[in-house]
Amino acid sequence: MIKVVNLKKSFGDLPVIKGITNEIRQKEVVCVIGPSGSGKSTFLRCLNLLEEPSGGKIYFEGKEITDHKQVDINLFRAEVGMVFQRFNLFPHMNVLENICLAPMKVRDLSREEAETRANLLLKKVGLQEKALDFPDNLSGGQQQRVAIARALAMHPKMMLFDEPTSALDPEMIKEVLDVIKELGKEGMTMVVVTHEMGFAREVADRVLFMDDGLIIEENSPEQLFNHPKNERTKMFLSKIL
Amino acid sequence: MDYSWSWKVIIHSLPMLLAGARLTIRLTCIAVGMGIIIGTFVGIGRISKNKLVYALSSVYVHFIRGTPLLVQLYLFYFALPALLGFPIPPMPAAIISMSINSGAYVAEIVRAGIQSIDRGQMEAARSLGMTYRQGMRFIIIPQTFKRIVPPLGNEFIALLKDSSIVSVIALEELVRKGYIIMGRTFRSFEIWTAVAFLFLFMTLPITQLVNYAERKLQNND
Repeated sequence: MIKVVNLKKSFGDLPVIKGITNEIRQKEVVCVIGPSGSGKSTFLRCLNLLEEPSGGKIYFEGKEITDHKQVDINLFRAEVGMVFQRFNLFPHMNVLENICLAPMKVRDLSREEAETRANLLLKKVGLQEKALDFPDNLSGGQQQRVAIARALAMHPKMMLFDEPTSALDPEMIKEVLDVIKELGKEGMTMVVVTHEMGFAREVADRVLFMDDGLIIEENSPEQLFNHPKNERTKMFLSKIL
Repeated sequence: MDYSWSWKVIIHSLPMLLAGARLTIRLTCIAVGMGIIIGTFVGIGRISKNKLVYALSSVYVHFIRGTPLLVQLYLFYFALPALLGFPIPPMPAAIISMSINSGAYVAEIVRAGIQSIDRGQMEAARSLGMTYRQGMRFIIIPQTFKRIVPPLGNEFIALLKDSSIVSVIALEELVRKGYIIMGRTFRSFEIWTAVAFLFLFMTLPITQLVNYAERKLQNND
């Protein structure tokens, strides 16, 4: 579904991604783990071009999206949902408007169509009674579930999650992870940057361990967590498990 | 010190002074209104990645903020007509120079307002497939408006006071009216005291309004 070839990204003189080649297949759930500063989030943000890669190529469904002349970035981004660590809901709009805006402006849906879609998604994330609330009046877990619904309203082909539970109070982590799990079961293609090892172990088809701007090791969760091969992977896992 | 204060002078000149105050308010409202329109575009230009747009808006802002309003007024009233070959009447000259002046200050207010919005807001908009323009229009600008109400109020007060400068091109706003009455009555103490208080009566309610808006917006944030 999305293929990355020798991806590099530097901020100024500082190289953050030092050459990543990988492919995420349709309906695959990939979790990315690794220490802070390893480039996990930057890698994820390169996948929908929120960060412009400094080198290398990215192909989405066979088309090179790093070639700006060939591909409309906005159309590509509409196909890829993203959920942020800090939710990034629009605070001046209520929940329903948050979800409906992009489908109406980008996909040209009518208000009725968009609202029907939004209400369906709110039901799915268990928040149908919050449609008219403003983000500031919701808990962190509720806000993140709205953010997921907002991304799903574009009917994306793939979802990216950037540490979706890192800004949440412990008691709210489960409600968000459950929604993501459910999506995985429905066959959504997903890349999840996470510190929740239990979640990765349970949900991922494949786990990537990143350190120092590179994918050091990748494997099924069972293999990676129980029989890590690389020294750095072993060290990282020994610190957190 | 045997100056005898005369209430009569003030009462007699009050209608004229009030007419002047009305023009002062009208000029300021038009100029700030135009300034908001100009300033919104220029303020967005000041954070543009397009180098030409950025350069043009920066030159405009720096030139206007770095030169006195009085000189800008002279440029439009005396210098520009010499170039064009036809005169610009005082009223349009005053409105144009005050609007352009206000636009530069509003531009900086708008720029600061936009930059105070969390980066994640634009990122969320772009990640949903919205263009930069849509993100600005539906996400960033509406949130900016709320934050720039207090500084805009201050800009209004500053321009209201500065508008007295247009008295030099014979526009009969409040200060010019004061001159005229002074010339007839030679009662400078009464007249200028009255003019000062009339300015105060105009600016104080706006100050109160700005304070109120500030408190109100803080509660909502």
